[in-house]
Amino acid sequence: MLWYKSWLETRWRFLIGLGLLILSAAATVAVYPQVVKLLPLVSNVDVSGQLGRQVAESVALSRDYRGYVWSSWFRENLTRLWTLFAVLLGTGGLLAQSAGGGTLFTLSLPVSRTQLLGVRAATSLAELLLLAFVPSFVIAILSPAVGQTYSIKDVLVHSACMFIAGSAFFSLTFLLSSVFNDVWRPLLLVLCVAIVMALSGFVIPSVAPYSPFRVMSAEVYFRREGLPWLGLIASAALSVAMLYWATRNIARQDF
Amino acid sequence: MAEPFIIETEDLRKNYGAVEAVRGLSLQVPAGSICGFIGRNGAGKTTTIKVLLGMARPTGGHARVFGLDADSENASVDIRRRTAFVSDDKDLYGYMTVAEMIRFTAAFFPRWRADLQQRYLRTFELPLDRKVKALSSGMRTKLFLLLALCRGAELLILDEPTSGLDPAMTEEVLRALVAHVASEEMTIFFSSHQLAEVDQIADRVVIIDRGRAVVTGALEDLRENFRRIQLVFDGEAPSPTFHAPGVERVWRKGRVLTVLSSDGSERIVDEARSLSPISVEVVPVTLKEIFLETVLTED
Amino acid sequence: MLLRTNPSSGVPIYLQLMEQVKHAIETGALRPGDQLPGIRPLAEELVINPNTVAKAYRELEHEGVIELRHGAGAFVAGNAQAKKVTDKFRAGQTIVAAAVERLRARGVTAEEIRRLFEAELARLSQ
Repeated sequence: MLWYKSWLETRWRFLIGLGLLILSAAATVAVYPQVVKLLPLVSNVDVSGQLGRQVAESVALSRDYRGYVWSSWFRENLTRLWTLFAVLLGTGGLLAQSAGGGTLFTLSLPVSRTQLLGVRAATSLAELLLLAFVPSFVIAILSPAVGQTYSIKDVLVHSACMFIAGSAFFSLTFLLSSVFNDVWRPLLLVLCVAIVMALSGFVIPSVAPYSPFRVMSAEVYFRREGLPWLGLIASAALSVAMLYWATRNIARQDF
Repeated sequence: MAEPFIIETEDLRKNYGAVEAVRGLSLQVPAGSICGFIGRNGAGKTTTIKVLLGMARPTGGHARVFGLDADSENASVDIRRRTAFVSDDKDLYGYMTVAEMIRFTAAFFPRWRADLQQRYLRTFELPLDRKVKALSSGMRTKLFLLLALCRGAELLILDEPTSGLDPAMTEEVLRALVAHVASEEMTIFFSSHQLAEVDQIADRVVIIDRGRAVVTGALEDLRENFRRIQLVFDGEAPSPTFHAPGVERVWRKGRVLTVLSSDGSERIVDEARSLSPISVEVVPVTLKEIFLETVLTED
Repeated sequence: MLLRTNPSSGVPIYLQLMEQVKHAIETGALRPGDQLPGIRPLAEELVINPNTVAKAYRELEHEGVIELRHGAGAFVAGNAQAKKVTDKFRAGQTIVAAAVERLRARGVTAEEIRRLFEAELARLSQ
């Protein structure tokens, strides 16, 4: 029944996220014919600087459908929306509910705190997994409608990397939720961290290769250079460590 | 092999930061009793209850329930398997309906009593399809009680179980508690501000003040042993030191010396006579008076 | 069964119950051999602790007013017994009633009368 409770507590975040992501995926596919028409116009524009380079690169990639899907969907739309929902799903929990959420009732049940946290984390992670895979599958399913195909293998690899690498954002929020007793501070803190990380690639070019977002979009795989093993393992390990730390915090907490 | 005391604390201490909520509390609750736990706001009642249920860790001393250490994580899960709890905030999951709350809770307790569930749903008149957040506070309290009483628990720990209830509902709740103790093997440990309730259904009492137990024992013994002795003198009342045991408080006002005794009146009256009072009166003391006199600040 | 208790009266509940049972025997509402309500149902009805009822019944048995038959319940003691005990009680009650009457006539209040009795008993028990 703990699973059911976790589901009830996260379902709106999940369903809204799923809805938004599916819409975004469908829109990404639907817009492609327009993009193809506009390409010749854009390629002549000369914009300098890091930002200009990125734009030029996106244009170049969009010439081919696989490149378009990678740059538009995996690198941009999915990464941004998914990260947002990873953070949203990481909030909540016993501490945040301390003021009127049945916390004492929950704590009076014959379950360990580890179990309570474990179920909450597992439910949210399962939802995040779906949020990564389902909309990406939608891309593959809808592609024929614009006369293109997208490989299922690419869907699987990219979604998996998104989930594994991006789970660190979830875990960080989860950890901060075991320290702060409101929902806002963990949310805003991690969003700030994400934004700083995203922008730092622009400001300090030498840092760009180490950005977690590169691992999440599996750029290395896209460029057919193998898989970003180091990034994936580091992310996964970090996630596990942060979740464990959160468990220790709650185990020691006085309510 | 039955543990004589269902709940036992030894010199229990609990600090929240710099605040000493419980400062050396020792109490025992025997199996099968209904024990009232009374004290002023902030005296440490809720903190003590939280320690017993593993919601807070003790800073010092020991707390045991069913003979198990309340501080041990594993033992605490066992304790909660056999204990039912009603918190003073009466908060449940607002987004669940009454029916869902019952299904949710029942899933954790294999000994759930479906027969009691039906009975209390009827007598408490709880609407199955209404969400908890739409229930009045009285109904929420009754739901909380239903969830506690149907668990097949051996111990009920209740924090202000009748707060916010009107007199009719209060009586219903007390009746349910008494009926439960009468027919099941059960112990009830409840904190309350309503001394009348404690008077009515409790057979043991613990009075806590500023983190310590100031009075513990069987309620009947307290009623039989506590006496107020009033001595009137011809001139200014003296300030004697009484050697007899059980002198809880002494206060002087003009020509009157009053003594609150927890151990009968005979020996004190004996000593008092040597002071030549012009009149001696001995009066029984109600629980309310015992409470008020033992928790007021000593001057 | 018309037994009532008042928890805030200052008189221990078990004593109130005992008095009520004796009164019932005196007035004939309970006759020798009649069965008294079970401890649990009575506790539930009066909303008092079952141990209190048990104590009242034990004391009544000790005084010989009732018999506790193991497994069967509590019964008013056979003919001579209960009546004799309650008669002694009633005799005492008559004496006290007379004394109280006289004190009231002198303007002594109920509270003062109670204190006088307590003080006298305290004095005697030395």
